Amino acid sequence: MELLAQLPQNLVSGLLLGGMYALIGAGLALVYGVMDIVNMAHGAFLMVGMYTTYLLVTHLGIDPYVGILITAPVLFLMGMLIQRLVIHRVATASHMNQILLTVGLSMVLVNTAQLLFTADYRQVRTSYAETVIRIGGVAMNLAYIISFAVAVAITVALYWYLMKSEFGRALRATAQDLHAAQLMGIDVQRVQMTAFGLGMALAGAAGALLTPVYYLYPTVGENFGLKAFTMVVLGGMGSVVGAALGGVTLALAESMGQIFVGHELKDAIGFIVFVLVLLLRPQGLFGRARA
Amino acid sequence: MKRGPVRVLSLLLAALLLAGCGGAATQSPGSSAPSNSSGPGDSSDTAAPSDSASQADTSEPIEIGVITSLTGSEAKFGEAHMRGYEIALEEINAAGGVLGRPLKLVVEDDASKPENAISAAEKLATQTKVPLIIGSYTSAATLPAAQTATKYQVPFIVPTAAADNITEFGSKYVFRINSPSSEYANTAINFLMDQVKPQTLAIIYENTNFGTSTAQPAKELAEKAGIQVVAFEGYAKGAPDFKPMLSQVKSKNPDAVLFVSYLLDATLLMRQIRELDFNPKVYIGAGAGFSTPEFVREEGAGKDAEYTFSATLWTTDVTWKGAREFTEQFIERYGVEPAYHSAETHAALYLVKDVLERAGSLDRQAVRDALAATDLDPDATIFGPVKFDEKGQNAHPMLVTQVQNGQYVTVWPREYAAADPILPTPTWSERK
Repeated sequence: MELLAQLPQNLVSGLLLGGMYALIGAGLALVYGVMDIVNMAHGAFLMVGMYTTYLLVTHLGIDPYVGILITAPVLFLMGMLIQRLVIHRVATASHMNQILLTVGLSMVLVNTAQLLFTADYRQVRTSYAETVIRIGGVAMNLAYIISFAVAVAITVALYWYLMKSEFGRALRATAQDLHAAQLMGIDVQRVQMTAFGLGMALAGAAGALLTPVYYLYPTVGENFGLKAFTMVVLGGMGSVVGAALGGVTLALAESMGQIFVGHELKDAIGFIVFVLVLLLRPQGLFGRARA
Repeated sequence: MKRGPVRVLSLLLAALLLAGCGGAATQSPGSSAPSNSSGPGDSSDTAAPSDSASQADTSEPIEIGVITSLTGSEAKFGEAHMRGYEIALEEINAAGGVLGRPLKLVVEDDASKPENAISAAEKLATQTKVPLIIGSYTSAATLPAAQTATKYQVPFIVPTAAADNITEFGSKYVFRINSPSSEYANTAINFLMDQVKPQTLAIIYENTNFGTSTAQPAKELAEKAGIQVVAFEGYAKGAPDFKPMLSQVKSKNPDAVLFVSYLLDATLLMRQIRELDFNPKVYIGAGAGFSTPEFVREEGAGKDAEYTFSATLWTTDVTWKGAREFTEQFIERYGVEPAYHSAETHAALYLVKDVLERAGSLDRQAVRDALAATDLDPDATIFGPVKFDEKGQNAHPMLVTQVQNGQYVTVWPREYAAADPILPTPTWSERK
């Protein structure tokens, strides 16, 4: 069947895109899945990461991937600052308040970008984004391959950090029970700041990976912000790596689904898979069943 | 003072302040800029009009309603619209204005979102006394705005949006200067039959009002002309990856590919087509993304745009009067060449001048009737002739360009052509 001939290309395309989705999902998982903060500004964080990368490339001539070494820490600090000044106030408030606040935050970020950069589309051209690797009948953009590798590396490093480090334990404890963690002597405020900072740094890293193969403009985050929630729930609330895998799953679903339906319905396929997983396994692919 | 009354008082004060500052009703999260900008002269959001018939005061400028996308994904085109308006506004006001009064634009930003276009039209219709509204950019925003204007019986001039259904819902108030989508389809297919004679065709289109309203007629016309449509693929706009869809289309081996896309997708599509080493004989776009100045530059597809054709409404080397001068002025002021969007809005204001002068008044019904009776010859605007049929559609003559050496060159019809088309398209490996 000629549709099967499409399988390799669709599979590879989905997997590679999944790398970038994974970072977007993991970033939100830290904030939403673990700290239970509905962050509607996650897409805007991605955009900030993209513009930071853009500035590094055009003003300092730094490669977007190498630039992650600067982009991530910068966004980490921004995230901590935002948490301390803004998010902190609604950390234990209702989701509705969090939504309102983060929507406002998103507007501020987007409008600032608009002021600083105008609404012009920008693209960053790199030599490897123009390089194509062809294996069999499958064409892969080298930049996508690098992005995928970097995303995997970051996710693995993140997992190791969350599982093995002192901070990781403190984070998981705070997520389980805020007050018990406080009673245990954990500086909950610092943990929340760090977690939010990490979440923003991950969104920024995802933005850096996306920059060579996409285009940027102030509202670019809208294309990804909402999907991030899907990834977190798909992966399972509370599981950061779960969200990363949720991202890969979503990208694969969108891509493989195109064997049967047109590209125009790819988002629908993604959401159908999402609903199916929730019906059959409500705790998500990797989440634990909630008490 | 007791606590209660203080609270009530401060709430009341806050409410009054908010109402007074109101006017940002047309914004949605993620959008930004002030909801206005207007031509030379000052700019202020229209304060609610006084109860008397405000625009009848002959010492005041005539206010014209404008809706466009100043922010959001289509902000580049909103900017192009405004540039055309600005040049025309200056020219018209310098020459004495309209009915002895200067023109002034009341601009509403739809932030590239249809729901905002609706509220913008409503606001212009009910809170101002504009005799007509011109707008917007995308078909998705223009159709509901036109429907809203019709509801309030305000004449609505369409400068850019191409979806056929905009002049097909039976409104007596909608008048479109540019060609509808089906004309793009018509022009593209006629060009293909005349110059390429393909056996097979693939149609790739954005899955929106704009995309489907050009792709559908294109498919029908192609089939009627004896071309086999081997792929008819709608795509979701803004996607990062089109490779699965493109590789599907490639496997069908079409002689020609017709695109109905805006700039961002057009850029990614051409880049990914190169990555897949997909080599049809001809790439042709139905205007929009494939005709914008950015498409041939590094911000767009750059080198990947070379040899693509596009059906277009207007080029800088067209023979209509004033087009050359407009292009020169535009380059001097803005440093870039104008695209047809700026020519459309420039012509729209000249149309407004003609209409208001024939109507002799700012009454919306009189203006509507004057619009319906418009008969401007090709040299009256830089966009060519303007005459509306019974549905409000102007019979605008269309052109085909090809990107040669990074420039758009008019190649068809032969009587307006500046150069010959380069056919067949060199393959990607031949291009190095």
